[in-house]
Amino acid sequence: MRTIAILAAGLTAVLSPIAATSQSMTPMRGEMRSFTDAFAVRVSPGNPYNQRIRVEVHVYDQDFQPVDARITPSAFLLAGQASRPVLVVVPFDGANERKVRICTESIPFPSEQTQIRAQICGKFFGHRRF
Amino acid sequence: MQPATTSGYRRFSLKLLSVVISLNAKLTTIKLAACAGQTASAAPTGNVLFNGTITATCTVTINSNGTMTVSSNLQSLSSHNAGGSAGSAQVDTTGGVSLSVDPVTTTSVPASDTTATTWTPTFATSGAQTVAETGTATALTVPGTSTVAINLAGTTSGINRFSAGNYQATVTLRCE
Repeated sequence: MRTIAILAAGLTAVLSPIAATSQSMTPMRGEMRSFTDAFAVRVSPGNPYNQRIRVEVHVYDQDFQPVDARITPSAFLLAGQASRPVLVVVPFDGANERKVRICTESIPFPSEQTQIRAQICGKFFGHRRF
Repeated sequence: MQPATTSGYRRFSLKLLSVVISLNAKLTTIKLAACAGQTASAAPTGNVLFNGTITATCTVTINSNGTMTVSSNLQSLSSHNAGGSAGSAQVDTTGGVSLSVDPVTTTSVPASDTTATTWTPTFATSGAQTVAETGTATALTVPGTSTVAINLAGTTSGINRFSAGNYQATVTLRCE
C-alpha cells in the first residue's frame, strides 16, 4: 500500500508538466503531496550531446547538503540525444514538508586543465498529508 | 442620320441591358450573402480550446574546457592570463532559471606545490542574454540560447609560487 502511494505521488509529479525530449532534465519544478513518510519524483535526465555520457543524479537540500534519498538508478550511461526516467524517493524525515534539489550531473571531459561539470538542478517541494 | 439614330438606340439599349445585368448581379450577390448569413447562424458550432504549459527548462552543453597559464610573477594561474582560454558552454533555456558556478573543490596539483591556492571561478554570458563576468548566481530571464564563458583563476600570496607540473581543477556550472 505504501509503495503504491509513493508511486502514485511520483506519477502525479511526472504527468503534470509537459515533458519534451533533448533536455538535460525535466521537469525542473514540482510540488508533490504524499500520504506516506516519503514522496516520489520521477525526473528524466537527457543527453544533448551526440556521444554517450555518464550521468549521475544527486539529491540536495536547500543548503546543498546531500539528502539520503533513494535514487533508481543513480548513475548510468546515457546514449546521445537520449533520455531516461529516474525515480527519486525522498523521505520527509519527520517533517511535514520538504524542499529538495534533484540534480543531474554530467561527467566532464578528461585531460584538460580546467574541466567543466554541467549540473542541472530542479527544485521540488513535497507536502505530507495525514 | 437614320443609321446614326439606330446606332444610338442600340448603344442605349446595350447600356440599359448592362445596367440591368449589373443590378441583377448585385441583387444576386446580396441574396447569396443573406443566404450565407442564414446558413452560418443556423449551423451548429463549437469552440475547441488548446492549452499548453511550458515549465522552466535548461540544457547545458559543454563546448570546450579551459586552459590556465601562469603569470610572470608565478602567483596567478588563470585562464585570463596570456595564452589561457576560457571554457565554453551553451545554455538553452525558456528563462526563469538561475545560472551559477560552484566553489572549486576538486583540484589536482603537482606534489611539489604544498602551498594554499585560492580558486575563483567566474562566468559571463552572451547571446540571448548578456551577463557581465560574475561569480554569483544570476537569473536567466530571456528565453533562447546563450553562450557561457567560464573562467578560473588560482592565486597564491606572500612568498608562495606556483611550481612546475600539471594543475587541474573542475568547475561546476549549474542551471537551476
